[in-house]
Amino acid sequence: MVKQEREIGNRPDNTAFTQQRLPAWQPMLSAGIVIPGFVLIGLAFIGIGVALFVTSRSIQVLEMDYTGVEPTSPCFRCSDPDVKNCVCNLAFNIDTLFKGPVFFYYGLSNYFQNYRKYSVSKDDDQLSGDLDNFESPSDTCSPYETVGSVPIVPCGSIANSMFNDTFKLYQIVNGNEKLVPFDGKGIAWWTDYNVKYRNPSVTPLKNAFNNTVKPISWPKPAYELDTSDAANNGFINQDFLVWMRTAALPDFRKLYRRITEGDYAKGLPAGNYTLKIAYNYPVLSFQGRKMVVFSNVSWMGGKNEFLGIAYLVVGSMCVFMSIVMLIVYAKFKFPEED
Amino acid sequence: MARRRSDSEINSRPCDVLISQSFSRARWKDLHVGDVLRIHKDQVIPADLLLLCSSEPHSLCYVETADIDGETNLKFRQALSATHNNLTSHPSEETLAAFDGVVLCEEPNNRLYTFRGQLHWQGESLLLDNEHILLRGTVLRNTQFAYGLTIYTGADTKILRNCGKLRVKRTQMEKDFNRVVIGIVLSVLLAALLLSIGAGVFSSWAVNHTEVLSALVVNGNPVYTGFLIFWSYIILLSPAMPIVLYISFEVIHTVHSLFIGWDRDMYWQQADTPAQARNTSLNEELGQVGYLLSDKTGTLTQNRLLFRQCCIAGDIYGDSSCRTEDIEPMDLSWNPFSCGGLFMSAPRLVEKLRGQQCPFSRQFLRALSLCHTVMAEWKQEAPVYQAASPDEEALVSAARELGWAFLSRTRDFIVVSELGVERQYQLLALLDFTSKRRRMSVLVREPEGGLKLYCKGADIVILERLQKDCLHQERTETALELFAQACLRTLCVAVRSVPEASWEQWRKTLAQSATMATSDRDALLEKLYDQMERELQLIGVTAIEDRLQEGVPETIALLQQAGLKVWVLTGDKKETAVNIGYACKLLDPDTRLLEWQELRQILQSPDPGVTFFKARQTELWAVDKQTAGAKTALVLTGPELTEFDQRPEWGATFMSLADQCQSVLCCRVTPGQKADIVTLVRKHTRSVTMAIGDGANDVNMIKTAHIGVGLAGVEGGQAVQSADFALSQFRFLQKLLLVHGRWSYRRISLFLRYFLFKTCCFALVHIWFGFFNGFSAQSLYETWFIAFYTMFYTAAPIMCVAFFEQDVNSDSSLKWPELYKSGQRQELSSPLLLTSSLLYAVYTSLVLFFIPFGVFHNTAYDLQTMAVTVAMAAVFTATIEIVLITRYWTKFNVAAVCVSVLLFFICSKITHSPRLFQASPKDYFFLGASDKAFIDPLVWLTALLTAWTAVLPSVTALALNVILTKHDKHKVHSVLSQPVELRSKLRRGTSLRRSSYAVSQGAGPGRLITSGTCIRSTVPTVDEKVTASNDRTD
Repeated sequence: MVKQEREIGNRPDNTAFTQQRLPAWQPMLSAGIVIPGFVLIGLAFIGIGVALFVTSRSIQVLEMDYTGVEPTSPCFRCSDPDVKNCVCNLAFNIDTLFKGPVFFYYGLSNYFQNYRKYSVSKDDDQLSGDLDNFESPSDTCSPYETVGSVPIVPCGSIANSMFNDTFKLYQIVNGNEKLVPFDGKGIAWWTDYNVKYRNPSVTPLKNAFNNTVKPISWPKPAYELDTSDAANNGFINQDFLVWMRTAALPDFRKLYRRITEGDYAKGLPAGNYTLKIAYNYPVLSFQGRKMVVFSNVSWMGGKNEFLGIAYLVVGSMCVFMSIVMLIVYAKFKFPEED
Repeated sequence: MARRRSDSEINSRPCDVLISQSFSRARWKDLHVGDVLRIHKDQVIPADLLLLCSSEPHSLCYVETADIDGETNLKFRQALSATHNNLTSHPSEETLAAFDGVVLCEEPNNRLYTFRGQLHWQGESLLLDNEHILLRGTVLRNTQFAYGLTIYTGADTKILRNCGKLRVKRTQMEKDFNRVVIGIVLSVLLAALLLSIGAGVFSSWAVNHTEVLSALVVNGNPVYTGFLIFWSYIILLSPAMPIVLYISFEVIHTVHSLFIGWDRDMYWQQADTPAQARNTSLNEELGQVGYLLSDKTGTLTQNRLLFRQCCIAGDIYGDSSCRTEDIEPMDLSWNPFSCGGLFMSAPRLVEKLRGQQCPFSRQFLRALSLCHTVMAEWKQEAPVYQAASPDEEALVSAARELGWAFLSRTRDFIVVSELGVERQYQLLALLDFTSKRRRMSVLVREPEGGLKLYCKGADIVILERLQKDCLHQERTETALELFAQACLRTLCVAVRSVPEASWEQWRKTLAQSATMATSDRDALLEKLYDQMERELQLIGVTAIEDRLQEGVPETIALLQQAGLKVWVLTGDKKETAVNIGYACKLLDPDTRLLEWQELRQILQSPDPGVTFFKARQTELWAVDKQTAGAKTALVLTGPELTEFDQRPEWGATFMSLADQCQSVLCCRVTPGQKADIVTLVRKHTRSVTMAIGDGANDVNMIKTAHIGVGLAGVEGGQAVQSADFALSQFRFLQKLLLVHGRWSYRRISLFLRYFLFKTCCFALVHIWFGFFNGFSAQSLYETWFIAFYTMFYTAAPIMCVAFFEQDVNSDSSLKWPELYKSGQRQELSSPLLLTSSLLYAVYTSLVLFFIPFGVFHNTAYDLQTMAVTVAMAAVFTATIEIVLITRYWTKFNVAAVCVSVLLFFICSKITHSPRLFQASPKDYFFLGASDKAFIDPLVWLTALLTAWTAVLPSVTALALNVILTKHDKHKVHSVLSQPVELRSKLRRGTSLRRSSYAVSQGAGPGRLITSGTCIRSTVPTVDEKVTASNDRTD
């Protein structure tokens, strides 16, 4: 008995796994599934494409370059880097109601915010309110780490290069300028101003910045970014946060304000407008462009014709492919039957 | 490891060594040249020895050389008479200890059949040759013990010299793949170089123009920046260099090997051995084998010859159609000498024999019991036969079972018990077998006084020597046909009564011839023999089955359908090999054998291909044009093959001819030559070669071939030690190749291509992104994603495919062997395909970058959102691709795919969570990115579009494939129905009769019998005679 057991000791187990007989579903594809499948997917893509395209078309966009390269441009005067505290007025008119809520962006082009050395040039610990890093910023901030031996707060290249043009929009009503109220709340990510960036828990905030200097190109220190609202001051200033969230590509927009209040909650009515721009930010040195954009949004965000068209193209390709397949199928099937 | 273990097991086998006048045990590895060894009966000889003396008369000893040359018959070796006389006259150990001869021999070499040396002893110089040498690996048989002087040990022994070098085998696919990987590495280096040049240019531009950025350019030196960026890009693009793949590759190989070991269909219960993959890195080549080079003995055949049928006076006895195991044993209890082993059921014959009715059948059996060169040895009251030819042993044993027991022989007499009556025949002459004569005869004087010549031999030679109007000739020829169709080996048995007068005259001429010079004598002898073997009367035909291993013909037929070329390489005789070729359906009955002379002519002709084709068109093939197709086989022998060494240019021609032939049989080849043939095939074709064998003589070929298979069988043969796969039965090859091999090939091909695709498409995105971030080596992915992508998000599904994928289940794989051909043609793994999947990966990486680029260009979306989108698209692409590849959805596959996709979302959520950010802001800086991205419809739409566009070519290819193969499958089906017909045709086809009989080395041992050297029961004959016979041996 024992011997018998030993004799079959090496016999492999008879399980579905070891014998490779695992039950399995083996889909049998055929032309009858493949071709209609292709048509269906193609039609679905075309459907999405049409929806996207139509939605995108319904979005109003007003984009204006104010770099001031051309001499005719109102900002031509300001584009000279030697001119300080220059304000230029950009006049435009709107024919029909610009439906609200209107989003107001500034845009930069040929600006490599995604340059690696640039995009890592910040100190996350410092920005989350760690006072130790106020004294000695991380070396990732180099060369905007210290001035002499005094640490820069907020340190690093991103903070230093913060966009500092400011905009005020006026509607011309009966020859008078009427200020269009901007809403600057909630333009940054919630996680940014609640988790990622924190002011040091020191009151008043100014004290935390003792023995530090402001970034070289900044006109005022971080604790004076918005003195009127403590929740929008220091590191959790929304404009600062928007800037700190680096763009994906060299041509980008960043949300500046929303127009949601007062008479303009429904949108910008037709009429003449003037945008007063405090022109500070130099872009001509690297052949960049600055622009402002008014846009309203839909479920898919801002205007994006590329996606709709891409869906249409891919969808049509699928349908086209299915027709080719049908022809191939017919060619191969019928000779066989003969 | 396994190899090491078995090596040490062999190294520590015991043997007896003479140490100062007594023998003591030593281990094999402790042997030294010059040691005197005592070898016991049935012991494997541990080193090449010079036979000094043995327990047998004249210091003869018998060895079995099956492991060396595949021949199963016993061979005799004889010590020098000088050593024999001196060493056996006294108590052996002392004299052996005093033995002080000096042996001069050649350098260790691999020539198995020759040995040259001299023994200087007692002032004499004696010549040594092969007859005096016992080779390592042979087994001592029928000899109590033998004493030998060690000449060569260990790696110097002839068999190990023949074993070839152990090489690390790597598969073609791995080589191709390594080349592709090197290509990838070079491309990555090149891309990094170009990108870093771009970085240098950009930074020099930035220094001059960009205030915000210029301060960041390291040291302001563009060249240095470029240098740093180069390394950054290498790191960034490194996922494209599939290093992880090598680890996964090993894992997959190991699992496939385990599956081979786990397969119950390849488990042999009798020996309790499952199949074993000893080399775990060759699995996919099992699916690409183009040439199967098989040993014969022990691999195709079982080494057992069975007397299955006979035809006496035109009546056929026994039934070959029923399987051997099913035969009811006859009641042979009346026969005191019966000891089983007769697989023939013919009660009618027994009745006739016992009833003394039929003189023919009695003569038939008398012929069988007299006409042979078998020796009888008495053991436990029963004769044990020792034969130089296994055929003879089978015949004599069969005669014994049927009542005509050969009891003993002396030089002049043969004693036979005929149905219990002992009769003594005087042996007058033994007309020995040679491969040229193809027959042997004995001339005996019956106890009654009559002279009879009994002759047996191949049918052609016997039939032409018959009397005119021989009785039963027609019916016997029909029987021959029948036996041939059943693949039995036949011999014709005939008798002649010799008048006293002609015998007297013949004897005188014979005596005269003995004094003549060798060359003349041989010619004269042949003429004399021919004179005697005339006017024969046909008695009957014997039919012997050379037992094939189970399932051999079916396996060979299946493998041939699968497009494999099966060649047989054997050390055995040509006749036997050809016969086995027919028996195992390697050759069809109407296959034309192309032998060396013709082949040589073809090879020598200026245009061999045409000559061959012409030859095939004309002459013998033209008989039946329809079957003239590929029904040719080449038959070569070892000595002929040596000509290839001198004519290397023949190799290619030979291979192209062999390609058109059904098979190639190489007989009488040494282990080295077997390996040479493998090398020849490897050199001139791109196919994968597989060698299968069981003995030490196959080791070299097993090592040389791409894949070596060792048959473990009952005795766990030598070959297994150096084989890559060990099987117990030849028929397991079916499953190993057609199922495991094909699956492995498919799985590994899919795995490699998919792995290349998924790693490259995901990593190459950074090249395109480089153009839009100032070549700054900015990553488009979160660091965690890069780490998890290969490990968690895409690894499990492809591993499941690599483990479980089956396009066709195992039964269907065996049913449609044609499916195997795709592996031989490398349809799934050609370098072209690998390259195309790389190109596809490049396309995908373009799509992965540029569609999101189009969407996010000039928008307020930030880098992190784009990173999540591209990552999502990459995971979707990899998932859709694996869904397209998988055809066999086990629950593991489904789970792996679902879990992988889910893991992407879960891991993203986790690594982007506030908790981890607070723990380490630097490592988890993607805080909140996925929360925001996963609820943004634009991100989803972009990811979906990107993924679908990325896989569109592969989906289209699959769809077209489905549409086209639908068509192909019909074709396959129509082809598939054919083989069944073919098989039945095979039975019906007219067959050429095959009758053969051969003993080792071409000449029979009759000389020894007539000289009386090897007959123990006689008093040692006069010394002169021994020396005379020895002279002739030399």
